[in-house]
Amino acid sequence: MAPDPIPGIHRVLGIETSCDETAAAVVDDGAHIASSVVSSQIDLHARYGGVVPELAGRAHVELLTPVVADALDAAGSDTAGAGIDGVAVTYGPGLIGSLLVGVAEAKALALAWDVPVVGVNHLEAHLFASLLEQPDLGWPLVVLLVSGGHTLLVEVSAPGRYRLLGGTVDDAAGEAFDKVARYLGLGYPGGPAIDAIAEDGDPSAFAFPRAFLDDGYDFSFSGLKTSVVNTVRKHPEAATADVAASFRQAVVDVLVAKARRAAREVGAKALCLAGGVAANSLLRSRAQEACAEDGIGAFLPTRALCTDNAAMVAAAGWWRLANVGPSPLTLGADPNLRLVPTA
Amino acid sequence: MNLLAIESATALVGAALLADGGSAAERSHQQGRMHAESLAPAIEEVCALSGITVRDVQAIAVDVGPGLFTGLRVGVATAKALAQGLGIGVLAVSSLDILAAGAMAEAGSDEARTVVAVVDARRGEVFTSRYRFDGAAPGPGQILDPAPGRLSPPQLVTPDVLIRSLVEMDAGPADRVLIVGDGAVRYRHRLADARAGDLDLVERVSSPSPLTLARLARRRLDAGAELAPAAEVVPDYRREADARINWEQRIPPTGTSVRARER
Ligand SMILES: [Zn+2]
Repeated sequence: MAPDPIPGIHRVLGIETSCDETAAAVVDDGAHIASSVVSSQIDLHARYGGVVPELAGRAHVELLTPVVADALDAAGSDTAGAGIDGVAVTYGPGLIGSLLVGVAEAKALALAWDVPVVGVNHLEAHLFASLLEQPDLGWPLVVLLVSGGHTLLVEVSAPGRYRLLGGTVDDAAGEAFDKVARYLGLGYPGGPAIDAIAEDGDPSAFAFPRAFLDDGYDFSFSGLKTSVVNTVRKHPEAATADVAASFRQAVVDVLVAKARRAAREVGAKALCLAGGVAANSLLRSRAQEACAEDGIGAFLPTRALCTDNAAMVAAAGWWRLANVGPSPLTLGADPNLRLVPTA
Repeated sequence: MNLLAIESATALVGAALLADGGSAAERSHQQGRMHAESLAPAIEEVCALSGITVRDVQAIAVDVGPGLFTGLRVGVATAKALAQGLGIGVLAVSSLDILAAGAMAEAGSDEARTVVAVVDARRGEVFTSRYRFDGAAPGPGQILDPAPGRLSPPQLVTPDVLIRSLVEMDAGPADRVLIVGDGAVRYRHRLADARAGDLDLVERVSSPSPLTLARLARRRLDAGAELAPAAEVVPDYRREADARINWEQRIPPTGTSVRARER
C-alpha cells in the first residue's frame, strides 16, 4: 500500500542516532531551524580510536530523552508535542543497534502524539542539509558527501531527485583520516587532528597515490592508507606533520578533482560539500577555488550542518511527509540502506 | 488506571494492556530480531482491543532486562519515549522476576517452591536469579510478586556454574524446584542431569510475557511502588559492553564501478 502525501505539515521533530551523535531538532516547513540539539559521544569513544557500536547504543538510550526534551523546549514546543505535525527519524544507513534506538523513540512519540512518523535515509538527510542554509542555490547541484561513514558524489536535480555518480569502493574518506591518525598517534577523531598538524607540514614531502584520479567517480582510500603505513616504516625519521600534510593533500586532490569534473559534466549550478570531512580546511579552500575558477557556486555548510545533526533529518522528513507520505508503524532500521536513484 | 506493559527482553516481543475497567489485552510475537518492527504496532493493537487510544494510557511497565541488548534498548527506548510524550511515569521490572512470577502462575499449586529463572545471555552464559515462594499459589489471573522471595540478585554465569549451584542447592525435602526461561530451555538436558527427580522445567514460559509483566506491575503499584520519570529508566545490562571496534560493521562501500562489484 503506497502512502499518500500529507498536506499541511509544518513543524517536524527530527531524530538522528545512526552513529555516535545523539541529536534532535525541530524544523518548520523543511527550511527554518527552530532548534537543533546534538550530544556528541566523541569523548566516550576517543580512547578506542573509533566508534564502539555497543557503547554508542547504550549512550543513545540514555541521552535521547533529555536531547529530545531540550530540542522541543528550545523550539517553543513541549514534550506533549504541542504544534508538532510529524516525527522524522534516520532509519539507515548506520549502526543497527544505534539506529533502532532512534526508530523506537520516533515511533513511540508519534503514537503518543498521534502524528505521522517518517523514516529518513541518512544520506538523503545530508543532501538536505545544504538546502537548510541556502535554499536558492539553483538546480542541478552536485553534492560531495564525505564523512567517517560515507563518501558519495551525488547529482541532485531537485529535492528528492538524485543520481549516484560515485562512491568509495573501500574506506570512507573520514575513516581513512581516522585510521591514519590512529597510526600516526594523533588521536580521535582523525580529521581535525590531521587537519591541525598538517598546517605545519610539507604537502609535497611524500607522493602518496591518488587512486582513480582521472577515472570515473568512484573513490578508493585503502591503498593510500597502506602507502602511508609503508612510508612511515621506511622513513621512521619523517616528520609527522609532513606525512599528515602529504596524506591530506592526496585525499583532497582526489575529492576536489572528481567533484569538479562531475559538476562540469552535469552542468551543475553549484557544488555542495556535506558530511563531517566537509569541515576539513584544505578541502573547503580547494573546493572554493575550483568553483570560482569554473564559475559555479560553492556551498560549504557551517560545521554544525556538515556533521551529523537532526535538523537535516527533520528537513528531509518534512519533504517526504509532504511529497511522498508517512512510514508505517512497522518501520525498522536498515544498516545498509543506499541512496535510491530517483532522477 | 490504564497500564501498558512493554516486553522485548528476549525473543518474544509484545505489549499488554490492563484497562481501567479490568479488561486485559495482549499481543506478542516470537520473532527474534524483529523487535523494532512489531512492538509499536502491538502497542497500538492492545489499546484498540481495550477500546482506548494510546493517549489514554496512564502508566507504563517495561522489562528492563537482563536480556538481549538490542531488544532491551528497543523496549526501553519505546517505554521512555511514550512516557515522555504522554507525560506519565514508568515502572521498571526485571526479566527474571517476570519469568519467576509466570512460572508460579503456570505451576499453580500450594506446595512451597524454589524457582530458578534463567535468561540465555548468549556467548555461553546465562543471567539467573533464584527465588523461594511460600504459601498459597496465585489464583487464576493472579500473580505473586517474586521479589520478596528473591534469594540472589541477577547474576551472569556460565551454565556450569549454574549447574554446580543447583547440585549444591538444598531445596528442602518436600520441595519442588521450578526452572524457567529460554536459558533453561537451551541447557535443559545438562540442568536435568544436575538434579535427579525434583527439577521441573516450565516449558510454557520460555520468555517473559507482556501480560505477566502487566499483572506484576499492577500488583507492585497497588502495593505502593512508585513510577519513575522517563529520563531515569535504563536497561539492566549486567554485562560490560563489548568495546571492540568492528570496522566491518560500519557502512559498506558505496562505489558504483565494476571494480567495486568485483571486490
Ligand atoms: Zn552522516
